[in-house]
Amino acid sequence: MILLAAGVLGAFATVGVRLVHLHVIDRDSLVHYLDRARHEIIVEKARRGDILDAHDDILATSHSLIVLGVDPQLLEKADESKWPELARLINVPLPELSRIFNTKTRPASAGDGTDEEGRIRWAKLSDSVEESVYDAVGKLGVKGVYGDRVYRRAYPHNQLAAHVIGYVNKEEEPVIGMERFADFYLRGVDGWRESEKDGQRHELAQFRTREVPASNGYAVVLSIDSAIQHMVEQELELIAGKFQPQKASIIVSDARSGFIYAMANYPTFDLNAYNALSKDGERAMRNAAVADILEPGSTFKIVAVSGALNEGLVTPETRFDCSLEKVDYKGVSRSLPREDHHFDAPLSVTEIISHSSNKGAAQLGMLLGEERLYGYARAYGFAEDTGLASIYPESPGMLANYTKWSGSDITRIPMGHTVAATPLQIHMAMGVIASGGVLLRPQLVREIRDDTGATVCRFGTVVRRRVISPQTAATMAQMLERVTYANEGTAPEAAIPNFEAAGKTGTTEKLIDGKYSTTHHISSFVGFFPASRPRLVISVIVDDGHPPQGGTAYGRLVAAPSFKHLGEQLIQYLDIKPVTTPVPGLLALGGARP
Amino acid sequence: MSSPAAPAVPRPRFVPNPATIIVVCAIGLVTLGLIVLFSASASFKQGPYFYLDKQLLGLVLATGTALVVSRLDLEQVRRYAWWIAGGTSLLLLLVLIPHVGISANGGRRWLGYGSVRFQVSEFAKLGMVFCLAHYLALNQSRSGEFQRGFVWPLAIVGVTSVLIQRENDFGAAALVGVVGLSLVFLAGARLRYFLPASALALTGFVALVLNNPLRLRRVMAFLDPEGTRLGAGYQNWQALLAFASGGTGGVGLGQGRQQQNFLPEAHTDMILAVVGEELGLWFTLGIVVVFVVIFITGLVHLRRAPNLFQFLLVAGCLLLLALQAIINLGVVTALLPNKGMPLPFISAGLSNLLLMGLLLGILINTQRTWPRPSLQRDGRALEELAG
Repeated sequence: MILLAAGVLGAFATVGVRLVHLHVIDRDSLVHYLDRARHEIIVEKARRGDILDAHDDILATSHSLIVLGVDPQLLEKADESKWPELARLINVPLPELSRIFNTKTRPASAGDGTDEEGRIRWAKLSDSVEESVYDAVGKLGVKGVYGDRVYRRAYPHNQLAAHVIGYVNKEEEPVIGMERFADFYLRGVDGWRESEKDGQRHELAQFRTREVPASNGYAVVLSIDSAIQHMVEQELELIAGKFQPQKASIIVSDARSGFIYAMANYPTFDLNAYNALSKDGERAMRNAAVADILEPGSTFKIVAVSGALNEGLVTPETRFDCSLEKVDYKGVSRSLPREDHHFDAPLSVTEIISHSSNKGAAQLGMLLGEERLYGYARAYGFAEDTGLASIYPESPGMLANYTKWSGSDITRIPMGHTVAATPLQIHMAMGVIASGGVLLRPQLVREIRDDTGATVCRFGTVVRRRVISPQTAATMAQMLERVTYANEGTAPEAAIPNFEAAGKTGTTEKLIDGKYSTTHHISSFVGFFPASRPRLVISVIVDDGHPPQGGTAYGRLVAAPSFKHLGEQLIQYLDIKPVTTPVPGLLALGGARP
Repeated sequence: MSSPAAPAVPRPRFVPNPATIIVVCAIGLVTLGLIVLFSASASFKQGPYFYLDKQLLGLVLATGTALVVSRLDLEQVRRYAWWIAGGTSLLLLLVLIPHVGISANGGRRWLGYGSVRFQVSEFAKLGMVFCLAHYLALNQSRSGEFQRGFVWPLAIVGVTSVLIQRENDFGAAALVGVVGLSLVFLAGARLRYFLPASALALTGFVALVLNNPLRLRRVMAFLDPEGTRLGAGYQNWQALLAFASGGTGGVGLGQGRQQQNFLPEAHTDMILAVVGEELGLWFTLGIVVVFVVIFITGLVHLRRAPNLFQFLLVAGCLLLLALQAIINLGVVTALLPNKGMPLPFISAGLSNLLLMGLLLGILINTQRTWPRPSLQRDGRALEELAG
């Protein structure tokens, strides 16, 4: 009896000692297991900000979606009858669903989603389940199936302004375009909460210790106008259909502020299907307007002409003999470039521009001299990033320092040979004349707004430098207007009656295998209107277009009609008033009033 | 009770009788059990009050049972000892029939309807004790004989134990075996029969365990809780973590995390771990002390037993209670291999509460009917009673 009692009491005593051990002595060695099993930091994703156009039309936005998965260890036999319904809801074939559900283990080396024994604790079923479908899945109530809410980027207009907007890849990394440049604003800051989870990894909200809410990303408002962008892209499609070019770019910007209304390239791509691009998709993703360089050709003549005018070396009426083969320059006889036409009579400076005389431009360049010609070219922004550099991989173009020029360069550079520039650089150079003599920074971002819609900051016009005097710019504008005059200019196709279309054609032979090709050309028309008070600068640059009727792809044939076509649409859309020539009588009447 | 009108009568010194002490202890444990049970099961999917309600129902039934049993004439009931034996055996057999017995957690152990289930083996334990006490007392003078004092008593224990073991309830079978053997020993069986038989029973039990992969895994898990913490030893490991988490003072009522899908059976067999986490060392030690108090009080009470039958009956009840507590405490603290056995008075479970009601009823009954200690001071030795 006593033996039995002693045994029982001894057992109770042992339990007591053991309890002291567990509670106090072994405690420290066990507690870290608890922390590991319970503690968790839950990240609350910030919503990426929208990209809007100038009229708050959404160009890029973030949808919340559910990534649906399953913990195969938690599945219950009773739920098996619900599998077909689940498969139908999330649009996964039933055999595939069953395979995922029945795969309960995988080799330990497989890594993610398993616990220490190699049991699968998470297998993805679908990564794009809509909220409404997720609700239905929740009602179906298959144990072990649950989802994580994520944001997925969407581009409502597909290919519209694709190169400008850029995209965010599946890993949520901004790859190109505005998405990448403005990532700092768009990204936002993920929130997090420090909390505990239960044995089935559900959060125990009552034990939440710290919580930092997510700050959603800012919205970026672009200067891009979807309507104009759409017109431009349709124009590019027309060009592509008609001339079968390798590539083509069109830029439309505000003449006074430098803000870009539209910028598009052919070929382009669909932002929602960027990963469906074929092998040469890389080419379609290139924002050729800022990334690719080409010889500007005759459009570059504005540099030498405006330089000589600005320096007071010539007047628009100064005449040059444009039939000469050779001219003495600094004691050496330099041969002048070929002309497409023969000019018997000496040409005035105005005519050199409107007829696009190579020999004339060369002589004006010689008048300026290497140093000043180089200086003006640099002032126009050639061989210099436009400022969109941080947005897109931009090329600064090529223009050798004048000290390294060869003897013939002084005759070739004025006509835009041995110079390379991006379409945007050429566009902004023309913008100097349209803006009254200053080089503007091309800009795409109008303002930044926070997620409540309040403006965080607004961007204004940035003048990079004054290039020529306003008077010179006005004179240049008048001269460039004559380019579109019938019977005088090289591009009457660009003329828009009553709106003083002004600009310069360019037709460059492409350098192929180190030789200038006579069958492959870059055709361009870069211009603005109305010449007397410019509103818009439009560049149309077509690389390797082929006129359907055959022959050389002159800028006036390939590019100028698009300038006009676009200009006419924009006049309607922006309600630009025609330039009316003042009637002297009316003016006199007005002046007579008291 | 003294009255102010009769100052001549000296106020009697209040000496609590053993049954009162045990009942108070039991009420304390049940109260603590209800509080911790609510905390342990509040987050369960059946709803926060599901187990609490069931436990309260069980408490009412158990209290009723205890009151009824405390009024019975045990000597009258003793006449039906063999009916009781037959009845419990029949029920144990019924449980084994598929579709009649309800299976859960790897064993077919329950009879009942809907969510109200009774674990027959709980009552079979008491039935065995009752019959054994009856038989041993009947053959009190022949306790030294091989057949009457050893073989037949052992048969009673063995049949019950094997039937319970067939339900895949090794722990209960072992408990029945140990309690039965102890009673045979107390009744005065010869050591030369008793010791080899005990050794044989132990060997048989070990052999059974080794032949059963599940039991073996549990034993291995017991030997290495950390190494098997994600597999067989998961439950043990989580219980150990609960104690560590609680420390001396506990994390506070309702603040325990181990019942949040970490610790299986947190509301039943593992409830001590929840007490350990939420209330800490002082409460877990307190529970052990209360069981010790119950046991010692019971021993003191036993000294007054009027005959061998009642002595063995109460001793059996006491051993059932104490050993069940020890097994549970041992399992939760990983001193013993994992074995599902509820903690008396505290764990959720109707059968457990009802059995405790029966045991308490018998104790109150004997307290009522056994002679007062003062009448017993004639030097009647316990050994005399035990033969």
